Amino acid sequence: MTAVPSSIVRHGLRRSWHDYASMLRWHLASLRIWMALVAIVQVLSGVGLVLGIALFFRRIPASAALYVSTGVPVINLVMIGLILGPQLVANEKTAGSYDYLRAMPVSRSVNAAAWYTVCLVNGVPAMVVSLGVASLRYSLALHVTAMLVPAVLLTALSATMLGYAIAHAISNAMVTAMVAQVLVFVVFGFSPILFPITQMPRWLGTLNWWFPFRHMAVVTRAALTPGPHPGLTTSYAVLGAWSVLCAALAGRALGRRL
Amino acid sequence: MSAPTGQGKSLYAGSAKGARAAAGSLSPLRSGTGYWLSSLRAMFRFELGRARQWAGMMVIVQALMGAGMALMYGFFYPHVTPARALYIATGAPTLALVPLGFVMVPSGITLERLEGTFDYVWSLPAPRSAQATAAFGLYSLISLPGALLALVVAAWRYGAHLSLSPLLIPAVFVSAVMAVALGYGMALVISNPMVMNVVANALVFFVLLFSPIVFPASQLPRWLYDLHRGLPFYNMAVVIRAGLTRGIAQDVTTAFVVLGAWALAGCATTAWAVGRRR
Repeated sequence: MTAVPSSIVRHGLRRSWHDYASMLRWHLASLRIWMALVAIVQVLSGVGLVLGIALFFRRIPASAALYVSTGVPVINLVMIGLILGPQLVANEKTAGSYDYLRAMPVSRSVNAAAWYTVCLVNGVPAMVVSLGVASLRYSLALHVTAMLVPAVLLTALSATMLGYAIAHAISNAMVTAMVAQVLVFVVFGFSPILFPITQMPRWLGTLNWWFPFRHMAVVTRAALTPGPHPGLTTSYAVLGAWSVLCAALAGRALGRRL
Repeated sequence: MSAPTGQGKSLYAGSAKGARAAAGSLSPLRSGTGYWLSSLRAMFRFELGRARQWAGMMVIVQALMGAGMALMYGFFYPHVTPARALYIATGAPTLALVPLGFVMVPSGITLERLEGTFDYVWSLPAPRSAQATAAFGLYSLISLPGALLALVVAAWRYGAHLSLSPLLIPAVFVSAVMAVALGYGMALVISNPMVMNVVANALVFFVLLFSPIVFPASQLPRWLYDLHRGLPFYNMAVVIRAGLTRGIAQDVTTAFVVLGAWALAGCATTAWAVGRRR
């Protein structure tokens, strides 16, 4: 008589917490060599943007300086979610660890939460450095409010989930890399993050309403500068909707049988 | 082709002199301009055939990136004055040429190394200069439409008044040769794909933000300007701008000399790496 292997399906909050901690450790451990490099690249690109855009002008206007300084933190968060995520998943797919990870008895949402934490751990320090350099370089009086916490959390969440959806829903690694590259180009040059929306054609501004990047800049800027910020609630709502949509897309792709 | 079995036997059986003669009749070492040109033609066909799967998409991506960069820089300014417009319009084609040498060539070579094509191409009985020239031709064909579209889009968007001069042809040629030669040299010297990737991305970041290509060099701090006079990027912009406008570009001869020196340095590095035994 053969013994039937017992497999108890465990769930509950405690189980989820345990899984979350394990996956977080897994991700951090597999990234340990990369974390330093990612941090350096993040800080250099953030500080580079802060200092470099001043060269576009003979004397940078105060409003342009404010837009750059409050936009660079958004760029920092978006880059982590949109570039690092898909790149790592593409590497996992080539190395074969992707299927291994998918076979683990951990729920998709817990896995996504662990990955989101990793993105925050990587993105937030660079964001703080960029902000610090910007306020020193342009002698800005930033007005940091408590709203910065939800703004950063939601900006990072929508960027991470977008990257997560791109990484998991597109099976071809080449296409993933290309989509991520194009998105970076769009975020940097065609989204009103580093400059006011009035400086782009009206139709492009309207088009940007449907994408998350403009709203990321709105919520982050509102938490860093005083004054009325029209459409703030709408921006939070749009970001929330994008996060849910991308999480659903990624979840669907991950739940599919191979 | 006839089977060389009979000759092969004599190669082993005969005297040293006979062996040399037999080997000579087997595969004569050919040289000369005619041979080089026919090698170039064959290698170019080889490169085109290899690239046909991705070249079309690459041309489109390059063209979109070029046009996109021409538009993007305008968004950063509250008002695009005629002077700024002229700088953006004449800088955009330069920006479209930079990725040719500093991203496409190194990443192409890195991929070839991983796939093993790199060693295969080197083992072919064609002069290595012909192989490199064929690759240069292919990459130029892929990137030139992007540079042209960037110029057209920028001229249309900002209404910049350009006055083309024959100087544009040597300017684009020298810039492209320099970019490819340096890219080749870099890719051959740096053999780790990850390091190459980081270097290429860092260079592109530096060129896009810190190089006086789409804005006047007078906006830079003095030390950065002095640095750029010795680096290739600013000088590329100077010579291409000299071919597109009248009166803005200064020190064009110096710029050509610096570009020539960088092209030579790239070729010398390539030659050193090619001649080295592994």
